[in-house]
Amino acid sequence: MNDWQRKSPVDWETYVNKMVKVAAIEKHEYEGWVLTVDPVSASIVLATFLENEKVSISVVLGHAVQKVEILKEGDDEMKQRLSYIFAPEESKAYSPEELEKRKNNLKTWLETNHIPVTEQGESGRTLCVAGVLTIDPPYGPEECSSSNEIILSRVQGLIQGYLEKQQ
Amino acid sequence: VLRLPRGPEGCSRGFSPTSPRFQALLGGDAVTTAAAQGARAALRQRYLRGLAAARGRPTRFCLRAGVRVDAVFGAADVDAVAFQVDALQTPLGVQAAALLRCADVLAYSFLL
Repeated sequence: MNDWQRKSPVDWETYVNKMVKVAAIEKHEYEGWVLTVDPVSASIVLATFLENEKVSISVVLGHAVQKVEILKEGDDEMKQRLSYIFAPEESKAYSPEELEKRKNNLKTWLETNHIPVTEQGESGRTLCVAGVLTIDPPYGPEECSSSNEIILSRVQGLIQGYLEKQQ
Repeated sequence: VLRLPRGPEGCSRGFSPTSPRFQALLGGDAVTTAAAQGARAALRQRYLRGLAAARGRPTRFCLRAGVRVDAVFGAADVDAVAFQVDALQTPLGVQAAALLRCADVLAYSFLL
């Protein structure tokens, strides 16, 4: 483990949204805006904006990092631009009533299929399935979160099938 | 005999007790660990979205000793042991599917 890998997540976070120069082993060098640092492998994800509106993403693996030098701070505009790069696609905008209806329909359907579901969070906007999986608005397969990948994939499949039948 | 999926490095099937994640799990004082965990979660989420964005894209991998290979990004595993790629171009031809060890990869890049 090198010094970079030993840093704390709070430390790594200080590099996000900054333009850096990464010196890697075997004399490689990479420059770009830091999108994130993977806490598991300490890999640095860099973005470079090309002329043709494309973005080049480079990931330098943590074990190969020798030195990271901060060159520039990103301003608010750059921070926003960077946050949009991997942002999940904008889904259709639903009104609060539509979201409430979607939530209740899904909740009822899950209960009919004997799947325990409760409402959680402020104003009960999040559905909690069997205490291990949460579903945020707008209640599609993409909005499911769980630390158990098997349950996650099963429930995503169920919701996908349910939504398809609704069409 | 190749047994997949591979466990984490080493003979044990559990995660490494010396890894920063496990050390954090053992706890330190509540205040710093909450901040560290919050940072860890945010960083990891962005990284995972990055991996999702890479999927299916032609990617250039820089390996050790100046070796560069092109392939289509498939997936990464949870412990950062290997990358799965499709259509790996090698001097011996194109491999339909392959695993690249993370320890051999120095960096990789793709266009969005």
